[in-house]
Amino acid sequence: MSDNIYLPELARIAHIKEEIGGERAIKTFRVEPVEGDTFKHECGQCAMLSVFGRGEMMISIASSPLIKEYKQFSIMRVGRVSATFHELEVGDVIGIRGPYGNSFPLDDWKGKNLVFIGGGVGLAPIWPLITTALAQRADFKNITVFYGARSPRDLMYRAELERMRGDANIQLSVDKAEDGWKEFCGFVPANVLDKKPSPDNTIAITCGPPIMIKFVIENLSKLGFKDEQIYTTIENKMKCGLGKCGRCNVGKDYVCTKGPVYSWAQLKELPEEY
Amino acid sequence: MQKILEKIQLDAWIAALGEWEILAPAMEDGIWGYHPLDGAVRLDHSNTTQPPKGLSFPQREVFFSFEQIKGEPPRLTQKMPAATRRAVFGVRPCDGAGAVRMDKVFSDHVADPYYQNRRKNLAYVGLACNKPQGSNCFCLSVGGSPVATEGMDVLMTDLGDRYFVTAVTETGKALMSAAAKVFTAPTAADKKLVEKTHADAVAQPQRAVNDVDAAPAKLKASFDSPLWEELARACIGCGVCTFLCPTCHCFDINDESTGSSPIKGNRVRTWDNCQFPDFTMHTSGHNPRESLGARLRQRVSHKFQYFPENFGMPQCTGCGRCISECSVGIDIINTVNKVTGHVG
Repeated sequence: MSDNIYLPELARIAHIKEEIGGERAIKTFRVEPVEGDTFKHECGQCAMLSVFGRGEMMISIASSPLIKEYKQFSIMRVGRVSATFHELEVGDVIGIRGPYGNSFPLDDWKGKNLVFIGGGVGLAPIWPLITTALAQRADFKNITVFYGARSPRDLMYRAELERMRGDANIQLSVDKAEDGWKEFCGFVPANVLDKKPSPDNTIAITCGPPIMIKFVIENLSKLGFKDEQIYTTIENKMKCGLGKCGRCNVGKDYVCTKGPVYSWAQLKELPEEY
Repeated sequence: MQKILEKIQLDAWIAALGEWEILAPAMEDGIWGYHPLDGAVRLDHSNTTQPPKGLSFPQREVFFSFEQIKGEPPRLTQKMPAATRRAVFGVRPCDGAGAVRMDKVFSDHVADPYYQNRRKNLAYVGLACNKPQGSNCFCLSVGGSPVATEGMDVLMTDLGDRYFVTAVTETGKALMSAAAKVFTAPTAADKKLVEKTHADAVAQPQRAVNDVDAAPAKLKASFDSPLWEELARACIGCGVCTFLCPTCHCFDINDESTGSSPIKGNRVRTWDNCQFPDFTMHTSGHNPRESLGARLRQRVSHKFQYFPENFGMPQCTGCGRCISECSVGIDIINTVNKVTGHVG
């Protein structure tokens, strides 16, 4: 559209799905360019979305790069812009600029086992990776997806996860038991320790609340995963996405340009400011 | 290009720069800063309270305006800065060095068009500091000099009744050539005098940050030091340290709404400040830099560790404004020296 890095492209909301209701509602939006093609992205990258008159917010792109027609974003209603997003309807036009950040080195992981570990809305940033790996199923060995939330009602992408069974080993969990729940009850890190995925020829990728990531990494280490075998994607407040506005830094790195994807070996070298 | 300019000829030089807007130190609302020239140019001031960074990076600027009827694409109107050529007189070497650091931020990774459009039309006509401008000057200890040409297009040195004027860039040569008649060639004595003046300037006593080259490693080792909280305890979070800093570049982007049907408004960039608690606070309420100490550590480490790690130079130019203007006496020299002093 232009070489002005702050000027967004225009995109139309093509589809809205209510993933989760309640106070911390999550909706999934599919957006399509108003005209022409939009930018290409890779697994793990983010985009700056805006509602004109309300402002911008940085959101992980939750659809596979293999999907060209639209980009998908799963957004929890928590702040000013996300609350406005939840009021939008199909057909409304938003602003989008990006893609921002680095990406998961999926091509380097061909021939390996992949273990995905997500919690809450933290499934969204690794969803493109999961769906891209499954679309290229023959390139990978075992694919396991651990995913947990507070209760069965708080699990997002539930139907999609169910459809993956067979191609992937799906391990769901909820923090609190409810009648009829047949899978693991407890926090996500405990479920990982319970199922004991093997570290042999395996890469583990985790995203979720900071406290969950911390204990997931601890438990993966207990299971013999080396720091280089563990990847995560971190979030910090962002305004520009271009390494200039100054707030998303973790040590010398701006997460918007050097991150958000880090191996635990890389992240350990940085101060814990995320 | 080296020339002599009699001081009484300064106004004649400026008058010859007809196609340039001239800015010079002036007091506005009780604060010294760089403003469009109104009358005769005055360079007999100490350094300004406000650095010239706002000329390339204003405190508030509109990126674009929008007007949108619900369900339809908005009309977006870009607000690129006008291409006015501006020459800024009397810029001190610490602020020239500041501009070099700002240039790195706004050209690294991708170029910022708003900054670049202003910056490429700005020329700095610097003035060497024959003596420190205040008791908190420390440029020599952070890789600078009171007579440095870094970031300048022209550097002038005060030789009493005249200036020794050196062109640093092609733009500087053009500025001087526009008024060739007002300059004279320097004599051997002039050259000797400017050399002595510069040597004397560099020999003036200044405060100092200890061993700036070792600071990145020492600050990295001091991340968990209890000194950060101790040294930050008096901070009232006013942010004056970063707002007056010639290199602080952090900003916010917001929509300013002027109407709701149709939706109308501007997307606006404003200076922001790492000393404010909500600068880094996530929407969830989680804040990676929750305490005063963590925020002081960020300001100091950015200048003396992170920026050097990324760009190979400190992001502090030793102007001393953040020390002189802090209402509670937080002192970046003492902070760096105390924290790094505890590391072997």
